[in-house]
Amino acid sequence: MSAGIEPRRFTDSPLGRRNPTVKLALLFAVSLALLFVFDPVTPAALYVLALTAVAASARIPARVLLLSHIPFVGFGLGLLVVNALSRPGTTVWEVAGLGVTTEGLSVGASLGLRSMVIGVLSIGFVASTDGVALMASLHQHARLGVRMTYAVLAGYRMLQEMPAEWQTIRSAHAVRAPLHPNGRPRGGMRSFGRSAFALLVVSLRRGERMAQSLESRGLGLGPRTTWRPVPLGRADGWLAVAVLLAIALVFAASAAMGFWEGGGSLFTGHLDT
Amino acid sequence: MAAGDPPTGSAARSGTAARLLPPTVPAVELADVSVEFPRRAGPVLRRVDLRLEPGEQLMVFGPSGAGKSTLLQLINGVIPHAVAAQLSGTVRVRGTDTLDTAVAELSRSVGVLVQDPSSAVCLPDVEQELALPLENRAVDPAAISGRIDAALRAVHAGGLRRRKTSELSGGEGQRVALAASLIAEPAVLLLDEPTSMLDAGGIASVREAIGRAVDAYGPAVVLVEHRMDEYAGRRGLAALPGRAVVLGGDGEILLDGPTAEVLTEAATELQARGRWLPLETELRAVFGCPGGLGAEAVRGGLKRLAGVQDGPAQDGPAQGGPAHPLHAPAGPQAHRDVPALQAVGLAVGRTTAGRRRRRRRSSAPATADPGTLLTDIDLAVRPGEIVALLGANGTGKTSLLLTLAGLLEPAAGQVMGARPGMVFQNPEHQFVAGTVRGELGYGLGPGSEPVVEQLLRQHRLEHLADQNPFRLSGGEKRRLSVAAMLAHPRPALLADEPCFGLDRRAAIAMMESFRQAAAAGRAILFSTHDLRTAATVAHRAVVVADGTVIADGPVFDVLARSVVMARAGLALPALLEWLLETFETPDRMRAVLAGLDAAVPRGGEERGA
Repeated sequence: MSAGIEPRRFTDSPLGRRNPTVKLALLFAVSLALLFVFDPVTPAALYVLALTAVAASARIPARVLLLSHIPFVGFGLGLLVVNALSRPGTTVWEVAGLGVTTEGLSVGASLGLRSMVIGVLSIGFVASTDGVALMASLHQHARLGVRMTYAVLAGYRMLQEMPAEWQTIRSAHAVRAPLHPNGRPRGGMRSFGRSAFALLVVSLRRGERMAQSLESRGLGLGPRTTWRPVPLGRADGWLAVAVLLAIALVFAASAAMGFWEGGGSLFTGHLDT
Repeated sequence: MAAGDPPTGSAARSGTAARLLPPTVPAVELADVSVEFPRRAGPVLRRVDLRLEPGEQLMVFGPSGAGKSTLLQLINGVIPHAVAAQLSGTVRVRGTDTLDTAVAELSRSVGVLVQDPSSAVCLPDVEQELALPLENRAVDPAAISGRIDAALRAVHAGGLRRRKTSELSGGEGQRVALAASLIAEPAVLLLDEPTSMLDAGGIASVREAIGRAVDAYGPAVVLVEHRMDEYAGRRGLAALPGRAVVLGGDGEILLDGPTAEVLTEAATELQARGRWLPLETELRAVFGCPGGLGAEAVRGGLKRLAGVQDGPAQDGPAQGGPAHPLHAPAGPQAHRDVPALQAVGLAVGRTTAGRRRRRRRSSAPATADPGTLLTDIDLAVRPGEIVALLGANGTGKTSLLLTLAGLLEPAAGQVMGARPGMVFQNPEHQFVAGTVRGELGYGLGPGSEPVVEQLLRQHRLEHLADQNPFRLSGGEKRRLSVAAMLAHPRPALLADEPCFGLDRRAAIAMMESFRQAAAAGRAILFSTHDLRTAATVAHRAVVVADGTVIADGPVFDVLARSVVMARAGLALPALLEWLLETFETPDRMRAVLAGLDAAVPRGGEERGA
């Protein structure tokens, strides 16, 4: 029924066994740390490190890992090009009236690589984390409210069913559409709009009824217990220490070797003009 | 009902707790309750007084729109807490006024099973779904796993525990939802058409599950069920809850008392309103005498309907017969030989047209290729012919219809014939326009106004012509979806459970429109789990089981083959069984069924041209 919407998961792996909240927090921490990096070398080193760690610990088949990169590569290239062409500084090369600047290339590469680091870590996170376990863990370990938690889970179930529902509605409409001379139904944008409206109406009603169902199962009562809590153990602590330590070491090494550039480089170009 | 196994430990505990309450506190008490909805003329419920003792079992009857579901929503607090409505009077659940108590808080006492299983099941995994009510009530986590098993076993769904809820069929979903409403062992159990999506086997197992829960935990039960005949099954009135309440069309309680008495008193009235009744009650309404098929007078009446005089049975088709307006359908010789739709060596999978590859493992049983539901299907539907597609839940009837409609890619073989029309199970899925009129005219092109007007008349939709299709009642929606499909000049019409959710009068009208369409030369193939409807209207029956078609022939021949019925998991209703035993020719059997349908008044609605 839920064809194609769920990414494949590899939860039975060293990374898959770690606590989802810890993983999410670390992903956030790394993203935050990268905000202070504007040279290309530091994120490049981090990317190599992150890729190795994800490949080694998440058991994602190489092909899947590679294909999942596509959106991040695209986004990263976009950042590179825009920055290279638009950032003021020393022009190294002229294309169609636009100057490519050293500063632009450097900052663009840095931002592009940054998105690659966040990208590969996100791939590792998504592929190794069960969505349900994530919500349960956020509820247990990050004090996410029980109503919010289950609203998201119910929404997740609706989302799971939506492709099938959409397919049914499209079929139901196709069978009513006027036929082409070749005997196949006519489509078109307006028919998409009609189907979308039907999906909206059906989903809204279902959402309302699901909310009632959840409430009439006692959601929101306190105190409550948790069946099969998501484990949070020593290994999760070690994971956090390892990741944070790795970042600190890379940053320190990069600074020591003179690659490090903080936010200052962003504005040098502006100061020149 | 009781399956004979001892109640689980937890069940025994809660049973004790329920008994500790002072016996004077009613499980549910409504005092002078009226409910009015905005944008709706007149109250839905009017001055209702109702008292339900702990452990008492109640069945609610009434025409659609009489406030049966409203009554349930009042008891679980959805009204007034979640649904805007004007409420006067007081509703108390085990002494607690629902006005001051949130729905979640009331759920400590009240378990609910809503109509639509797809919105009754809320979480991605079956296990989680069942654990949720227990977690919310702070049940010791160590006890939860055992109770999940027990609740699933009680509804005969032990095998579903590890499943994803998105992979459940409608019937499986309904069982899981029932288990979820039972698992917390509520003192009051509210059931809103718990069997609407189930076949005969499913209905029996749900009825049994409710019976077991009642035996084990002793909840008070309020059951709304409009297919009482199917729910009662072979045991007849004895299988129904002990007490019945009849709601009138204006929201008042008309009758309240022991079920057998209420049904006796209200038989004629309920029949006149076009409700589904247990067979015994229906026969009483038609012939005016009790005892059901066991009574000589009733049997005599049925034989008269068949055109058989008391005495030696005559040969030959029924002559003259009763004065009912329905013709016995023409025999197969009347059909032209060229099929309107034909399947040759067809295999049915789950793959959507245009999306051939599928990675996920599907859970189709009993076939070698896990993606294939049905194989080796040879099937032809001829102009003027009505064919019923029978089979248990989850056998692939819907997928077969979708494949025949050209909406699913055949896994093998081919479908021949012009593209047919198809009416889907949920009419809302098919609506494309903002008004009923627009809906009927959709895709017809310019100059179609006279056709639309004629369809509006024919399907009794004139008074709704400018309404939004989504705002119609369930029966009206279905009528509209069939009418809109018939508007297209397609040689064949497929319909997926077209009578699902309809009351008897609406179902009869639906079948009448099928007859008219067939008489006009359409070929009709419809799936149903209501064997009586199939026998009444269809010429032929096709039975699907074990991944293929196991029988295809004249409808009464197929129904008479007990081996086929057993293999398909179909249970013959008592009336059909008696007909098959008593009469020789299909014409007579059909005449009885048509005669019984003709005994349901049309309620002042003008008949179509």
